[in-house]
Amino acid sequence: MRTDAFTKTYDGRRVLSMPEFEFDEKSVYAVIGANGSGKSTLARILSGTIQPDCGKYPASGGLSIGYMPQKSFAFGMTVKKNLLLNGVGAGSGQRADELLRKIQLEELAGKNAHGLSGGETQRMALCRLMMRDYQLLILDEPTASMDVEASLLAEALIREYQNKTGCIVILITHSLPQAARAADNLIFLHAGAPAEWGRLKAMMDAPRSDAFREYLDFCLKR
Amino acid sequence: MNTALHEAMLMIFSGNRLLGSIIGVTVRMSLASSLTALLLGVPLGVWLGSGRFAARKTLVVLNRTFMGTPPVVCGLLCYLLFSGVGPLRMLKLLYTVRGMVIAQILLITPIVAGMMESCVSSVAPAVRETAGGMGLSGGKTLLLIMNESRYQIISTYLMGLSRALAEVGAVSMVGGAIAYKTNVMTTAIMNYTNMGNFTTSLALGIILFFISLAVNIAVSLLQGRLAI
Repeated sequence: MRTDAFTKTYDGRRVLSMPEFEFDEKSVYAVIGANGSGKSTLARILSGTIQPDCGKYPASGGLSIGYMPQKSFAFGMTVKKNLLLNGVGAGSGQRADELLRKIQLEELAGKNAHGLSGGETQRMALCRLMMRDYQLLILDEPTASMDVEASLLAEALIREYQNKTGCIVILITHSLPQAARAADNLIFLHAGAPAEWGRLKAMMDAPRSDAFREYLDFCLKR
Repeated sequence: MNTALHEAMLMIFSGNRLLGSIIGVTVRMSLASSLTALLLGVPLGVWLGSGRFAARKTLVVLNRTFMGTPPVVCGLLCYLLFSGVGPLRMLKLLYTVRGMVIAQILLITPIVAGMMESCVSSVAPAVRETAGGMGLSGGKTLLLIMNESRYQIISTYLMGLSRALAEVGAVSMVGGAIAYKTNVMTTAIMNYTNMGNFTTSLALGIILFFISLAVNIAVSLLQGRLAI
């Protein structure tokens, strides 16, 4: 999957500047960086939720894209009905049950989703998105409100989905350990532009840019 | 006061024909105007709250201005339209229940639309982003926005009905408070009080209070049934 170079400007301030980019097929990309580095803007542009100032982006190419926004929204109906909203075909009910079981929400399937906690809402929203097979799955901090156990379940589910569908996953995260566990490739955003990107292991072993080296040092000291 | 209250209670339970007529006209007019205002105002409010078009803000401000229209001004406008020299005189709506209903629709629709707009504009961005993220169609997204606003629709209807029941200015100007024809509870209370007939006024006031209470209970029960 190839994207043109694009920029995004808000109120005269450039918040993101992306070069031309080639995403490897069947890969999980983790996008990391400090607050305000442009991660969510990148996710929203790639999903077609907002438009860049110029340039082509995946949504303009007819690619089927699933996008989970940073703030997960629960529709006012049961948890299972939330999942079925995104279901296609006759096997939707079975798929919903299976996803809810894997994320350990099966006991809440009949409960109104407005009564879920933040972490439970994120788990439900992740399953809801996985009801369909997308070619590109963009997840903006999908585990931010989850505890460690739920985060690990979600990561396993993401990997399983990617293996099953062969899609490209773009995982926006604040957690370097999560990126290391879940991703094959890494994009490090710094001040609204990718400072470094490539295979995750190679980047972790030998950072090339000062910005990423400093970020790594900071994360490892914590 | 005690005597008037006692006589009012007797009047209520005696099945008084005058009271029956006033209550009948009031209920007929209020239901017709509030339901029509709901049918017009909800789609308008959803459109204003969820739409993304250039004139949206201007239309919202305009609607908010109409929300504050004094009933007597609305009554005056309808009176001028329906009167013998008005452009709609051929419809013969002056001093009729239909004319009163139209005046109330003009009064209540902006309120319904404004309440819906306020609710929908607060949920629409999150619903749209989530539904768009799943790749759902525009029609399905609109249904989801409506679903998220369903409690507000009920509250809005309650507000509209209360307004219709309690309104005096427009209905008295357009309806003329004609006995057994266009006299509704509020205009009757005003007129009978002015005439010193406190028994009838009090009886109507008590019934109006219990109608409001019954509507509120029904709406609360309905909201409870919609909770899941």
